[in-house]
Amino acid sequence: MSTIEEPQNPLSRFLGDEAGAIGAWDAQKTHVGEVVESSTTELVAEARQLHGAPSFGQFVRVDSEVPIIGIVFNVFTHSIEPNRRPTAYGKTEDELRLEQPQIFELLRTEFQALVIGYVDETGPVQVLPPQPARIHSFVHVCSDDDVRAFTQTDDYLRSILNTSKVPTDELLIAALRQTLRAHGGDRSYLVRMGKELSRLLGDDYDRLSSIVRRAAY
Amino acid sequence: MAKKGNKGVQRSVRGQEIGVITRGSLVEGLEMKLDASQNIEDMKAGKFVVIEGDKNDFFSMVTDMRLDANNQDVLLHPPRQEDELLRQVLSGTSTYNIVSLRPMLMMPKNADGDEGPRPVKAIPSHFSQVQEAMEDDVAKIFGREGDEQGKYFSIGSPLDMDTPVCIDMVRFAERSNGIFGKTGTGKSFLTRLALCGLIHFDKAVNLIFDMHNEYGFKAMKETGQSNSTFVKGLKQLFGERVAIFSLDPQSTRARGVQPDHEVYISYDQVTVDDVATLQDELKLNPTAVESAYLVYALYKDRWLRTLLAQEGPDVEEFAKEIGAHPGSLVALHRKLKRLENFPFMVQKGHADGDVVDRIMEYLDRGINVVLEFGQQTSMLCYLLVANIISRRIHEMYVKKSERFYSTQKPEDQPRQLMITIEEAHKFLNPSAAKQTIFGTIAREMRKYYVSLLVVDQRPSGIDDEVLSQIGTRITALLNDEKDIQAVLTGVSGTDGLRSVLASLDSKQQALVIGHAVPMPVVIKTREYGAQFYRDMGCLDDMPAGERRAQVQKKTSALYGDN
Repeated sequence: MSTIEEPQNPLSRFLGDEAGAIGAWDAQKTHVGEVVESSTTELVAEARQLHGAPSFGQFVRVDSEVPIIGIVFNVFTHSIEPNRRPTAYGKTEDELRLEQPQIFELLRTEFQALVIGYVDETGPVQVLPPQPARIHSFVHVCSDDDVRAFTQTDDYLRSILNTSKVPTDELLIAALRQTLRAHGGDRSYLVRMGKELSRLLGDDYDRLSSIVRRAAY
Repeated sequence: MAKKGNKGVQRSVRGQEIGVITRGSLVEGLEMKLDASQNIEDMKAGKFVVIEGDKNDFFSMVTDMRLDANNQDVLLHPPRQEDELLRQVLSGTSTYNIVSLRPMLMMPKNADGDEGPRPVKAIPSHFSQVQEAMEDDVAKIFGREGDEQGKYFSIGSPLDMDTPVCIDMVRFAERSNGIFGKTGTGKSFLTRLALCGLIHFDKAVNLIFDMHNEYGFKAMKETGQSNSTFVKGLKQLFGERVAIFSLDPQSTRARGVQPDHEVYISYDQVTVDDVATLQDELKLNPTAVESAYLVYALYKDRWLRTLLAQEGPDVEEFAKEIGAHPGSLVALHRKLKRLENFPFMVQKGHADGDVVDRIMEYLDRGINVVLEFGQQTSMLCYLLVANIISRRIHEMYVKKSERFYSTQKPEDQPRQLMITIEEAHKFLNPSAAKQTIFGTIAREMRKYYVSLLVVDQRPSGIDDEVLSQIGTRITALLNDEKDIQAVLTGVSGTDGLRSVLASLDSKQQALVIGHAVPMPVVIKTREYGAQFYRDMGCLDDMPAGERRAQVQKKTSALYGDN
């Protein structure tokens, strides 16, 4: 992931002189993206900053009527014009920013998240939300507390395993590593989740051992 | 939710949850999937657990354990030794442990005080929780020592628990009992414990044929090391309530105790039946016994004296006189000559009177009699003496009980008598059981107020008919398949117990089954030491102050406070 701080809001080109004020406003914002496509089972969000999407496997929360919890399973950066692909310039990113800063304005980063539940007044619910997230809702990265609350039970593993579009094993490992970090590296938590996985995977011992081995760090 | 909460409360009363019931049947027992947090090594055969059904608690015993896996791959590619995490993950999921349980008793959950445990007629539903038994459970089933009726006597505690397991001494006394175990597994200790219980609670008066001088006064404790220690015998514990009779007074005195009575047996006390029971030991052939009957027909009580008085060549003459087969009578004569070597065999009745009458006198007064054999440890001697005495005692008891049946006065009711015999298979093997008096006693049981305490290391040698009449069996380790089979004769649902019996420790562990306990239980036997002596009311080892207090208490009980 790029470490270069992207100074501008994607919309800054329309804002002209007010950009400075917007920059200050931008700094206060905590969301990482904004929903641009939404369905019950997954959503696509545009990252606030180029290359600024949450990591693969990270838990995100969508500020919707009911906050929706998802796991990032795909991040991609592409041209805003569907018909125009970026071309290779043979220069480093720093050089390009000096010489052709406009080309970065023509790119955007989007990420897809798998919807795994929502939060209501009773707390986390490991069920698909009744309504999908609204377009333009902000997406936040879940805090460790949120992650812990949502992953007390093991239902998210089943949600991940049940989807077909994503690289399930890789996503499981990434998600497990994330939650394990949120749980402070608690070994017994990993064992508990491993046992659940063992049940979910049934006879697939090879797969289980590979996931468990790679999730532990 | 309410139900869950309810169970939660009960769990706090009981021990830790150790698993859930997954399958099983009433006939074959139940299977429990062990909780993943439990270590299979803690599940010992014989452990006592409680299954919490919806309506009943099922008190059960662990009989077997099995390692299982739902997936052959795991077994083919086990996790590497260093892959601790994977092993933890697999344990309880892909690889799991199954523990076989044998439900022994069930008790309704909302039982009123008087509704005790009942035999198992139902099984708990799927996923019923299994918990370790707690002190209350054990007390509910086995009673507590020191209850008002004073009938519960603690003989040990369940495996891994400190709660006393009690046997019901009233029920123990009313039937014949057996104490079995390989040599060196603590049979003598178990016997001494059981006798202490009977004497302490005064549930039966005992006649003990003490072949190895272990019960009366001081006995060696096998510690497995060179520094063997001595433990107190019954005489030391109960003083006046125990009398020592000795066949070999010198040996008894050498061990530092004066016998209360010396035992002599006159030839006139020996009947043909007594000789018949020695058939094996003396290698008599059947015609020898017939010849003996011929002698008896003429000389009655004096038959043995008369026969032994004949010298060598005269015997054939004598045979002709009475019409017996000379060869046979000569053989009988030759073999019975061995009896003359016993120092306790005398020609005429002893000045002290008949020893059996004396024993009876003591027993009538409620004094327990230990008959020591001293140096006379031969099987022949033990068989002969035990037979002669028991037969006479039994006859007297039959008379006494018949008198009681006719008068029906409480004061005529004979005291319950328990006769302790060692090496019981010699008396009770299939051929001897029909002839010896012990076979009769074992079969007639309580009708005449006489029962047996059979101590043996080879229960398979005992007649099945006798074994099936044995009420309570206290069994230390047995290895031989035949012996195990024999001990479990007449006990229902024995499949599980078999493995339990074969896996007992060789010291201080025993399986108790039968009439005096509501369910079979494996115990760690009670410590036979200072605390036990004190519990039995022996003051010797007490600190001076405590002893004075005890004495004062008893004095004031006897003579009033002034």
